[in-house]
Amino acid sequence: MIQQIIYGILYGGVFALAAIGMSMMFGIVGLTNLAHGEFIILAAFLSSVLCTALGCSPFLTLIITVPVMFIVGFILQKVLINYVMGKGANAALLVTFGLSFILKDGMLQIFSADSRRMVVAFQSANIRISDSVVIPVLYLVVCLIGVAVIVILHLFMSKTYVGQSIRATSDDKVAAQLVGVNIKNVTAVAMGIALATAAVSGLTLGMPWPFYATSGSGYLLIAFGVVVLGGMGSMIGALVGGVIFGLAQVLGGSNWGVFISYIILLIFLAVRPQGLFKK
Amino acid sequence: MIKNNARSKTSTIITIVVLAIIVALIYVLAFTGVFSSNLMRILLNICLYASFAVMWNLMAGYAGLTSLGNQAFIGLAGYACAVMCTTYGFGIWVAMLVGGLVCAVLAVILAFALMRMRGMYFAVATWVAAEALKTAFQNWKFVKEGAGMTVKIKPYPTNAEIFALAFGCFIVCMVVVYLLLKSKTGLGLKAMRDDADAASSIGVNIFGSRLLCYVVCGFLTGVAGVIMYISKGSIFPGGGFAIDWTIKIVFIVIIGGIGTAAGPVLGAIIYTLLYEVLAQFAGFTNIVLGIVAIVVIVVLPKGIIGSLENRFKFEILSQRRKSLE
Repeated sequence: MIQQIIYGILYGGVFALAAIGMSMMFGIVGLTNLAHGEFIILAAFLSSVLCTALGCSPFLTLIITVPVMFIVGFILQKVLINYVMGKGANAALLVTFGLSFILKDGMLQIFSADSRRMVVAFQSANIRISDSVVIPVLYLVVCLIGVAVIVILHLFMSKTYVGQSIRATSDDKVAAQLVGVNIKNVTAVAMGIALATAAVSGLTLGMPWPFYATSGSGYLLIAFGVVVLGGMGSMIGALVGGVIFGLAQVLGGSNWGVFISYIILLIFLAVRPQGLFKK
Repeated sequence: MIKNNARSKTSTIITIVVLAIIVALIYVLAFTGVFSSNLMRILLNICLYASFAVMWNLMAGYAGLTSLGNQAFIGLAGYACAVMCTTYGFGIWVAMLVGGLVCAVLAVILAFALMRMRGMYFAVATWVAAEALKTAFQNWKFVKEGAGMTVKIKPYPTNAEIFALAFGCFIVCMVVVYLLLKSKTGLGLKAMRDDADAASSIGVNIFGSRLLCYVVCGFLTGVAGVIMYISKGSIFPGGGFAIDWTIKIVFIVIIGGIGTAAGPVLGAIIYTLLYEVLAQFAGFTNIVLGIVAIVVIVVLPKGIIGSLENRFKFEILSQRRKSLE
């Protein structure tokens, strides 16, 4: 039981990281990116390919994947999504939906339907607490990466000029423009950051668990669940939501865990759609 | 004014007669074996996809409820069909009725749980509900878990009979949506889609109208789903509740024109023919569909029918009311 709770909490950090980019786009730009799950998997494939090609540790691939995903996000938002966001309520939602299945089938064609996994040296190392309780090092590391990214993002959003201008835009577009913020660029930068977190998320999901070209929608729904549980735009909320989801999946077992987490999510949506930590 | 009215009445009658002749002709052609089996299959798919799309369009285009979870109805209907026919030995009519009713009940439950949500919350919540159903059916012994079920009916309906059912279902969908939107409820729905607060303040019952749309959508999507699985002959949880159904439906409605009466039908024809062409490039179908859909959203946000109607000032099967002045 204690062992399972440890796993649940460690999963939580990873799920929170998967959600944070989506949460940011929800809360700040007002965009539901239904392709976020596919971007996470795309980043995982990139890391995995680089890892094999260069023979380096998976962690080092972030040096390439994070900037690449940032640029992809920036261009995507600037060229396509900003343009459709002005066209009716659901145009942007449906464009990202279209992107999600272009990416999914594109990855199926390029990387095949086989599972992949990134292997590190401490794959099965454990820290022993007692005879029945251990902390798996790999899960601890990916959870800490998740928490670190969220904390850094939080500091970035509150302390730097770019972060503050992103938040100013989310509060009041017109006022932000008046004080000299270029709001078209701001949303593009926000999308870039969201996909940069997706790059890290792809790494942290791709090391402990095998992933497939089709895994994206599952992670999208987890990310969405975490965002809903925690409240959109809330960083602490994402961590708490992640842990709730992690615990539900671990305690529910492999067959019913996903079902239970979906039901929790639906009940939550019906009762408290603004989330635990309303911004 | 009176003259005008009489003229519009005659033209309505002519339209109905012409449509009835076309419908009768299609039935005659189907049963006399003029259609090849390949053509029959394509027509069957067009009818079923058009039914799904017309129902999705009723929700997204008129009631302002963009659902990404209509695969829940299709999968549930498929299982209702398999359980009724294979497990209990009933015929197709019972299967269709039960499939429709089960989906209508699901729609009522989902409506009360999810309809307080707006926009993307509703969209993703319906998707989550469908995924929850998928995992439940994957682990439910009664429906053979992940192994799926076959549909056994004695005697199994011929292709022409299945097509006749699908065509009938499509006609019913069109007529129901037309009458619903022409009614007072429909007027309220359109008012609500354009401005929910204003509509509510002049007495439109928002929840009631949306609930009605959702239940109609659930029932008829369910009936079409049963026919789909009679033609397929087997159902698996992964396929029945797959998001791919919604991908197809969304594509069809976007291409044809969201919020238009004829859009989903044209979209279904385009989709089915495109699918036949793309069948030789297996694996690339969704990529092409996605690119086409995005291009259409960017270039023709109202879809093909919507843009044509705007450009040439006409409206197919208009549910507009004539002004009384």
